[in-house]
Amino acid sequence: MSDILEVIRTRKSIRRYKADPIPDEILDKVLEAARWAPTGENYQPWRLIVIRNSETKEMIGDLAKLGSGSRMTAWYCLGEMQRRFEEIQDPVRRVEVLRFMYSGEVSEFAKQAPVIIAVIGTLMEGSVDVPYDLSACIENILLEAHSLGLGACWVHGPVASTRDAAKFKKILKIPTGMGQYKVIAYVALGWPAEARKHPRPKKPLEDIIYWEEFGRKERS
Amino acid sequence: MDRVEYFNSMLVRLEELLYHELSGCAAWKVELVGIDFIQSRKIEGKTEKEIIRQCIKAIVGSGLVKDMTFSIGGKGILLDLRMKGCIHIPKEVRLKKDGITPYLCPVANMILDQLIEKLNYETTYLAKLDVDEVSEECNVKCAIYETPDKIGVVSDWTEDMKQTMK
Repeated sequence: MSDILEVIRTRKSIRRYKADPIPDEILDKVLEAARWAPTGENYQPWRLIVIRNSETKEMIGDLAKLGSGSRMTAWYCLGEMQRRFEEIQDPVRRVEVLRFMYSGEVSEFAKQAPVIIAVIGTLMEGSVDVPYDLSACIENILLEAHSLGLGACWVHGPVASTRDAAKFKKILKIPTGMGQYKVIAYVALGWPAEARKHPRPKKPLEDIIYWEEFGRKERS
Repeated sequence: MDRVEYFNSMLVRLEELLYHELSGCAAWKVELVGIDFIQSRKIEGKTEKEIIRQCIKAIVGSGLVKDMTFSIGGKGILLDLRMKGCIHIPKEVRLKKDGITPYLCPVANMILDQLIEKLNYETTYLAKLDVDEVSEECNVKCAIYETPDKIGVVSDWTEDMKQTMK
């Protein structure tokens, strides 16, 4: 067995991609990793839609821009976005970042990704773990992609609202019944065009680990 | 327990459950809750103000809310709703008591739905739901986007509302 901690630790969300296509043999490895995710009672509720068509990606990018922008515009108008980004000292940079967020452009990057993988789950086969299984499936995609030198980003928010999820289903011709398939997210995938900077700081272990019971910090 | 109390108590349980499962994202999942009522009414109008007035007439007329007013500000993006004596106030009060910020307003959902259905608005977003349990008043701030280019049209809603209230 190989320790994959370095793969896990160096992964970060990549939102800028080169135009170079992803060869099928590389893509298939990513999809194979998805297939082996943990799944309750081996239901494997995931279904993956691999999208390479430019028009479809354009529609998804527009939808994501609208989803994020509609919320972030409101958050900005309520002063919430400004509080979130107050750590940015440079006022010009701060304005740029805030505009990038509330315009929704932050979520538009699906348009540039060579591949988008829509991750949906069937609700019709009896699984009681659909969202959790799908999340594990996505993590496998992200880690395998990173290990192969690809960049990827898990995108949930822009397709999270009920109306946006319905629009997303319509774009991809997914049955729209609430008891049929759940859209949980999509993953944008491509060769990174941005520097793979060190991932954003993570909370230290002592802040998130308890031993034996909630709140107990002493290692048992 | 009367019927209203009965249905509100069920909504509280469901909203607690949804929040527990989805955290803050729960609010994004409930935008269709309440729309069946307004879709069963004949709401007509050519402008957003006409549609909103028609909705309010139907909502107040049916006794769901005793008193309801609205204003539009924030460069046309902000729909500010004020309600008194809403049938759902007890559920909001109980949610607040249980430590969950109220996030589902069926009444606001009705109006946002009709802007989308009747005027083909691009999208809407229920941004803030303030509940005053003492006065039994609610203030709901919604973002309404007629077209995609309205996304990113920003202003200070707090200042805007101060001007509107003057």
